[in-house]
Amino acid sequence: MGRLENMKERYDAVVIPAELNDRIQQEITRSRRQQAEKKAASRRHTFRKMIRGMAAAAAAAGILFTTALNTSPVFAKEAAQLPVIGGVARILTFRSYETEKDDIAVSVEIPTIEMIAADTGITVDGINQEILDQCEQYAHDALLRAEEYRTAFLETGGTLDEWAEHNIKITVGYEIRQQSNDYLSFVVRGTENWTNAYSESKYYNLDLNTGRPVTLQDLLGSDYVELADKSIREQIARRQNAGEVFFTAEEGGFTGISEDVRFYINRDNRPVIVFEKYEIAPGSSGEVEFEIGGN
Amino acid sequence: MKQSLNERLIQYILDDQDRFYRVAYSYTRHQEDALDAVQSAVCKALEAHERIKNAAAIRTWFYKILINECLTVLKKRGRVVLTADTAKQEEAYYEKGYEQGGDIEQELEKLEMDVQVIIKLRFFEEMSLKEISSITGYNLNTVKSKLYRGLKLLKENIQEADLWVD
Repeated sequence: MGRLENMKERYDAVVIPAELNDRIQQEITRSRRQQAEKKAASRRHTFRKMIRGMAAAAAAAGILFTTALNTSPVFAKEAAQLPVIGGVARILTFRSYETEKDDIAVSVEIPTIEMIAADTGITVDGINQEILDQCEQYAHDALLRAEEYRTAFLETGGTLDEWAEHNIKITVGYEIRQQSNDYLSFVVRGTENWTNAYSESKYYNLDLNTGRPVTLQDLLGSDYVELADKSIREQIARRQNAGEVFFTAEEGGFTGISEDVRFYINRDNRPVIVFEKYEIAPGSSGEVEFEIGGN
Repeated sequence: MKQSLNERLIQYILDDQDRFYRVAYSYTRHQEDALDAVQSAVCKALEAHERIKNAAAIRTWFYKILINECLTVLKKRGRVVLTADTAKQEEAYYEKGYEQGGDIEQELEKLEMDVQVIIKLRFFEEMSLKEISSITGYNLNTVKSKLYRGLKLLKENIQEADLWVD
């Protein structure tokens, strides 16, 4: 046997360390995560554009929506179950369903605003249509993402049983924050339990006297930016003393509220400013809230 | 569902990881260095996956990256003094080689780097001259002449080597 063949034999006999596969999996996982985040960033961009476009189309969409309300058996049933408590308007579930396919659970509860008082002149059809579209879009996209994940998982050697153990769940739902004669405030959320990259929350604050969205300026006055910034800085300092962790400004922490800062209205009719997970504090803190204008 | 090029790349990496390690080990002769070289090649390939143009080219494209990483490790090592520990390990390896009468590895390592690369790809990874040409960037005739020159320097029986070349 020639020396080259000998050398080739020794080459093929090199022992492969078990660590090799771990290291490679590590890189693949990291790359998948990066791509998911990149995709989410570009998707968030189109989502914002979509909302702006929808505001313009709201009037036209309203007509379509009224028909949907009147002909939906689900809506009729839901509405019948809720006693009318008086007041001007309320939030109720327009449609709710749960499905499961390929071990991906989907749970959707879409809210809608119903005007109780007649002749207020306030129309909520546009906003209702916007909510409906967004919820359905999110559920649809999230399901596609989970299916993509499943395909990749199975193609890279995962078994169906292992996939089932992931307990993938997609949730679209809402939480009511304030429901008084003056304000309606609620948040619509979409989440996927396997990734934070795509979570979306949208806050709706409606002034029931005017029928218009409530702004921070409406609630806090014209110097609302200074007021809110000062209050948030004080609260951060206080909470830091109590051991809570916030990012510094260099780390991307709080540097002042932006024009499109998220907030809801609480039971005391005060605005509560909300920062998304990771926005100004480590992910372990989740969403971070500051009530403005209290004591 | 049609697999994206990225998923194909991932699949290829998973399937051929042992080969990558052997390639890296043949350059570095050191487990930790070889693992590092493979890992950073995988990392770079995944980051640059958009640059792959077609699935057929994945293999040669990846080898280009991998060999580059191996050479980078070697270059870095040239400046780094081996610790007593690693030096001992290296020594142990070569002694074992001698016992098996396999000093051809040492002779190979004395050749110019590009000649080494070509010989290793040809005989260890059994690549065609065309594939080697696209990995190294040399044209086919240059690959051929470098290969033969290398074999001559190894005092290898060209007759024997010819049997290997298609």
